[in-house]
Amino acid sequence: MLSRKVKDNIIKVLIYLSAAATVGILAIIIGFIFIKGIPGISINFLTRGYEDKTTYVTTELLEASEDTGNDGEVYVSRLGITLAFDGENALAITEIDKDSPLKKAVDENGNTYEVKKGDAITRIGRYKASSELKDIDAEDEKAKAEFLQKAVDEVNGQEDPTVKLKVVRIGGGIVPMAVTTLYMIALSLLIAGPIGILAAVYLNEYAKPGKIMSVIHFAIQNLAGIPSIIYGLFGSLFFVQILKMQYSLLAGALTVSIILLPTIITTTEETLKAIPNTYRESSLGLGATQLQTISRVVLPNALPGILVAILLSIGRIVGESAALLLTAGTVAQIPQALFGNSASGATLTIKAYTLMKEENNLTSACAIGIVLIVIIVLINVASKLITNKFLAKKGLQK
Amino acid sequence: MENGIVSSSRTDDNKLNIEKWKAKNPGKLDTDSNDYEGSCQEGSEPGISLQYMRRNVKRDIMEKVVEAIFLLCALVGVVSVAAIIVFVFVKGTRPFVGADAYSLRDFLTGTVWAPGNGVYGIFYMITASILSTAGAILIGVPVGVLTAVFIAEVAPEGIVKIVKPAIEILAGIPSVLYGAFGLGVVVPMIMKVTPQVQGQSLLAVIIVLSIMILPTIVSLSESAIRAVPKAYREASLGIGASKVQTIFKVVLPAAKSGVLSATVLGIGRAIGETMAVMMIAGNPTAGMPESIWSMVRPLTTNIAMEMSYASGRQSEMLFATGVVLFLFIMMVNMTLIKLTQKAGEK
Repeated sequence: MLSRKVKDNIIKVLIYLSAAATVGILAIIIGFIFIKGIPGISINFLTRGYEDKTTYVTTELLEASEDTGNDGEVYVSRLGITLAFDGENALAITEIDKDSPLKKAVDENGNTYEVKKGDAITRIGRYKASSELKDIDAEDEKAKAEFLQKAVDEVNGQEDPTVKLKVVRIGGGIVPMAVTTLYMIALSLLIAGPIGILAAVYLNEYAKPGKIMSVIHFAIQNLAGIPSIIYGLFGSLFFVQILKMQYSLLAGALTVSIILLPTIITTTEETLKAIPNTYRESSLGLGATQLQTISRVVLPNALPGILVAILLSIGRIVGESAALLLTAGTVAQIPQALFGNSASGATLTIKAYTLMKEENNLTSACAIGIVLIVIIVLINVASKLITNKFLAKKGLQK
Repeated sequence: MENGIVSSSRTDDNKLNIEKWKAKNPGKLDTDSNDYEGSCQEGSEPGISLQYMRRNVKRDIMEKVVEAIFLLCALVGVVSVAAIIVFVFVKGTRPFVGADAYSLRDFLTGTVWAPGNGVYGIFYMITASILSTAGAILIGVPVGVLTAVFIAEVAPEGIVKIVKPAIEILAGIPSVLYGAFGLGVVVPMIMKVTPQVQGQSLLAVIIVLSIMILPTIVSLSESAIRAVPKAYREASLGIGASKVQTIFKVVLPAAKSGVLSATVLGIGRAIGETMAVMMIAGNPTAGMPESIWSMVRPLTTNIAMEMSYASGRQSEMLFATGVVLFLFIMMVNMTLIKLTQKAGEK
């Protein structure tokens, strides 16, 4: 019987190896993304826009007082700001006073444009600070101090009570993509949530087994199996071209909504099935109508399951790429409309893809990846908690 | 007729109430009362009972309307499937009909994709899709099923609590990040051993796809294994079989249909995967894959690569590629639905 023992042991080793491989791969993937992406994560990365934004602003000047400078920084009293040397963008604003006139600066369209800490000034009046950058050695402290002093002199030398500045709001962050992702989640859930939940209610509470029901189930099973690139093809043809929405938030959200339907319907249906029939019978027996039974008895009891369905959907939207690539576009901006010209916007996932594919920037892509993984893990934990609580409440858990 | 509702024991007071009520709600009583004749109890106050009746009609209509709304929502899924099929197929078959038709045979058997020269052959893409899916199944299914066995049969509870969440997270990772992993880890590793100049290859696609289908295979197989009655195991162990023998000769055969469904679902995922594959496949414009080291261009990546700027004939050809992909998916879906139905009948 030795051979059987040996065989058993070999197979056991294989089983352990497979399980170890599965967990190991996950560790490698997450480890890789964190190691690559951590250098790219910073406060600026999480809080800034993606592209540099240049604005010409006009601002009033204060009375000059003492301009002090130390440690490579200089305080400009007439503007109420502290400037530092910035090798890329000339003059970085490192500190801004509460009563600084720059807080009420006016842009070219006459709107108030609040200059913030972290912005850079590249031009003061006629003096182009940025064009003198190339002559300055970043190691040379004296040259840098002179450069700063020149900027202060330029401000103090202004004869008018106002001065025109060229201000650059530095980009490199993921805020537009994060906002687009949030919009996409909200809009898709707004469309697919009610439809999916009501469909599940119909299938579980109203429909009698028969042709209609089997057709609907068949369709949903098929929807679940269609890969997202096909949804993308359909969306780009129907929503983007035929309905003339162009690459837009709405086209993306509608496409994603169809993708979400099977998830929402099946998860909700499972929950509804788990609600004991006695609940319904008691309610109907007390004289409630079916609608009252559904809205007051069935749905409140199904709430945790519906919540899980919504969480799963959020995970799906956050991770969706192929379909959105063909319907919502790849522009790193916050969509300004639901559809039309300025409505396109890349979600975090799409941006991670374009960063890798088109800009060869694996670090930033992985930094976005970290954000995505954190979201996915949070969603997983949340849905687990909800499910456990739900089960515990119903006494189904051991 | 209205006398019928309020039964014979009506008093003068009641009569008065009715008159008052009628004055306040002209026309209501006559229509309402017909439907609810005799439904109210003897001696009840007519004012109250009539109010209930009024609500009931509204309620009935409401019930019907709401049911219709629910039905409409349920039909959205059906309409979506129909719309997707119709739109993709209509646009995808257009290049092969009409005066200026492209030969369907050339399309399906060609091995060069050169939209600039009006040459569209996708045979090498079909091959690439099939090969990469087959490879992924060959690696992913055994590893996945064994992992499922580990979770369901072998592992102590403490370890299950680590492995299961790991698999759930693996399932949730966006495919773009699998692509990043492929590009940053798998492709450089292949670079070290490949006879070719590039690491993007069929092998890279197979490795990444087999990882991507793992969660599907593991979780479905696991629930299938768990569904096997305990008595089977006890019987097998009781007649002297070892644990491993029990697992492979009794439990897995009993869970066969579930494992099979998992495999089919895995095929569906692998053949439809786009973004991760696009980054690591190489996507050449011509040439059959000759070895696991050669670059490939599966059907899905062909669509995603060019869709954003394609127009006219090229765009139609991308839809035609989509139709071919769709047919594969349909076959997978049908098999899956058949399998689950069979399992359900059991």
